[in-house]
Amino acid sequence: MDEPGPSRPEAGARPPYRVLSHTADTGIEASGRSREELIANAARGMFALMYGPDPGDADEAVTFTIDSCGAEDLLVDTLSELLFRSETADLAFFRFTVEGSGNCRLQVTATGRSVDGLDLAGPPIKAVTYHGLEVIHDDGWRARIIFDV
Amino acid sequence: MDLHRIGDATWEIPRTGGMRVPGRVFASEALVRRAADDQALLQVANVAHLPGIVTASMAMPDIHWGYGFAIGGVAATDPAEGGVVSPGGVGFDICCGVRLLGSGYGAGDFAARRDRIMTELARRIPRGLGKGSIASPGLVSDVLRTGAAAAVSAGFGTEADLERCEERGTSRDARPDEISDKAVQRGSSQLGSLGAGNHFLEVQVVDRVVDAEAAAAFGLSEGMVCVMIHCGSRGLGHQTCTDWLKQMGSAMARYGITVPDRQLAAVPVESTEGRRYLGAMAAAANFAWANRHILAHEAREAFATAFETAPERTGMDLVFDVAHNLAKLEDHDVDGRTTRLCVHRKGATRAFGPGHPDLPDDLRGVGQPVLVPGSMGTASWVLRGIDHNPAFASAAHGAGRVMSRHKAKKRETGHQVREALEEAGIAVRPGSVGLLSEEAPYAYKDVDEVVETCERAGLAAPVARLRPVGVVKG
Repeated sequence: MDEPGPSRPEAGARPPYRVLSHTADTGIEASGRSREELIANAARGMFALMYGPDPGDADEAVTFTIDSCGAEDLLVDTLSELLFRSETADLAFFRFTVEGSGNCRLQVTATGRSVDGLDLAGPPIKAVTYHGLEVIHDDGWRARIIFDV
Repeated sequence: MDLHRIGDATWEIPRTGGMRVPGRVFASEALVRRAADDQALLQVANVAHLPGIVTASMAMPDIHWGYGFAIGGVAATDPAEGGVVSPGGVGFDICCGVRLLGSGYGAGDFAARRDRIMTELARRIPRGLGKGSIASPGLVSDVLRTGAAAAVSAGFGTEADLERCEERGTSRDARPDEISDKAVQRGSSQLGSLGAGNHFLEVQVVDRVVDAEAAAAFGLSEGMVCVMIHCGSRGLGHQTCTDWLKQMGSAMARYGITVPDRQLAAVPVESTEGRRYLGAMAAAANFAWANRHILAHEAREAFATAFETAPERTGMDLVFDVAHNLAKLEDHDVDGRTTRLCVHRKGATRAFGPGHPDLPDDLRGVGQPVLVPGSMGTASWVLRGIDHNPAFASAAHGAGRVMSRHKAKKRETGHQVREALEEAGIAVRPGSVGLLSEEAPYAYKDVDEVVETCERAGLAAPVARLRPVGVVKG
C-alpha cells in the first residue's frame, strides 16, 4: 500500500516523489520527465524523509561525477554517494542538479546546509537497497526505491 | 503463498519454480499470519533460490519484511557444493547486535539515583545526528584488525569482557585492506556511538527468572539492574555492504548465478570475491564488536559517576554480546554428516547449545546466552541455546516490527509516546523526540509471544525477563 508523501502534485501531474509503505524500512516512488530529473527528485525524496522540507537556507554545494551504466545503477550509485557525502560532511542536502552525459555518466550538484540545528523528520537512512528496485521509462520516468533505516 | 503447518510452531513453504529447498518458518499461527500480510514469506522463498543452500530457507518467529532477505532470515550454504555468500544476507549494518551488562545494583538503587544516572548516560552516549564518538579516529585501524581486543588495549573495558563475547569480540579472518577508504571515512568519527533508528541503550531490571541455574551461570538475578546496548557497525558497515553489493552484482554473471531479487546478489564462498567479501565483513564486524564494547565502557563510567564509585566497583560484568547480522563458517549436521556451512543470519541470533566448543568454559554447561530485545518500553528476554536446534543454531533477535514507521508516526506524536513511557515509570532520553513514535511499543510484535514461540519451536529456552526503566535513544 502506498501512502501520500510530503509533496503535493500539480493537478494531473505525478508528484516528484511519494512515500512507500514498508514494515521495517522506508522507500519512495519518484518520477521525472527525464532520467536526470527522476534522479534529482529521488534525491529530494530521500533527504526529505530524513530532514523534512527544504528550510531555504542551503548554500553549501558539492559536485561529483557518477560513472555507472544504466538507469538503475546511476540512480542507486548517485543516492549512495549522496549518503556518503552527507554523513562525512555533516550536510543535509535539499536541492539537486543532475546532468547526463551518455548512458554511463552523470554530473551531480547537491546543495545543502549543516545538520546542526536540524531536527530529524525520520531516522537516518543507512543505505540504498536494490530490493524491489524498479526504474520505468514510459511517457516519463518512474522509480521505486527502498532504503535501509 | 502456499504454506503448510508441519509442526506445532513450524510452517513450510513448498519448493516451486527455481527454489532449491523449501522455506521453513518458525512461528505461532498469529505470528505467521502477520508475516503473510507483507512480502516477508515471498522473501523466504526468494532466498531458497541461492546456489548451494541446504535444508531450507528459514525464518525466525520475529520474521518481517526486509530487503532481500526477510528480517529474521537464516540461510546456510555449503561452500563445497558451490554454496554462495550474499552480502544482502548479512545486511548493511554488519554485525549489528546486542550486549547485556549486569550490575551490583537493584531496582531501588536505580530509583534513588535515576535522574543522575540517566543524565550521565545521556551526556556520555553519542547518538543521533552528526559526528560525535567516544573513541578517537586513530583507533579505527587497530579495531578493524582485532575488534573489541583493540578497544581493551586502548583502555576501554577489560580482558574479562572478551570472554563473554561471541568470537571473543574479534573476527579473526578480518581483512581490513578490503574495507574502502570511503567506509573508513564514514566510520572514523563514529567509533563509540549509538546511531539512531531502532538502536538504543536501555537500563533494565530483571523482573522474572524462569531458569535459575542458567540465570546464575549468566550472572543474572531477580531485581538486578542491567544495561542493554543495541547497535552495530555504523557508517563503516553500511558503506562496506554498499561497496560489495555493487561488486557482487557484476561478479555474479561470471559464475552464472541469477537471483530473483538483486539485493540477494551472491558469489561462491570459495571464489576470490567471496573470500574478499567475508574478509571485509569480518573487519566491519570487528568495528561493531568494538563499538558496543566502547559504549559499554562508557555506561560503566556513567554509573560509577552517578554512584560516586569506581567503574570496577559497579559490578557491571558482561553477561554476553551477540551479533544478529552476520555470515559465518560453522560446522552443522546436514543429513547426519558434519558439514562446514556458511550460515547467514539476517536479524537472527546465533544460539549454540550446551557443550559447544566455541562457548566460554563457564557457560558451556548451560548453552549460549541469546539476547532478545523488545521494543522501547516493553520487556526484553535472555534465552539460552539448547540441543537439537532445527535452524542451524539460530533464534529470534527481537520483537519484530508489525507497523510501518509512517503509520506509527500517524498514531501518536513523539511527545505522546514519551509521556506514556514516563507514566509507565520509564525515563526517556531521546536524541530526537519526534522519532520516538516510529519506535513506539505498538509498532512491534509482542516479544513475550516471540520468546514463547522460540521455546515451542525448539530454538532456545527462556532464562530471564527484563523490564525497561530507562531508555537512551538516537
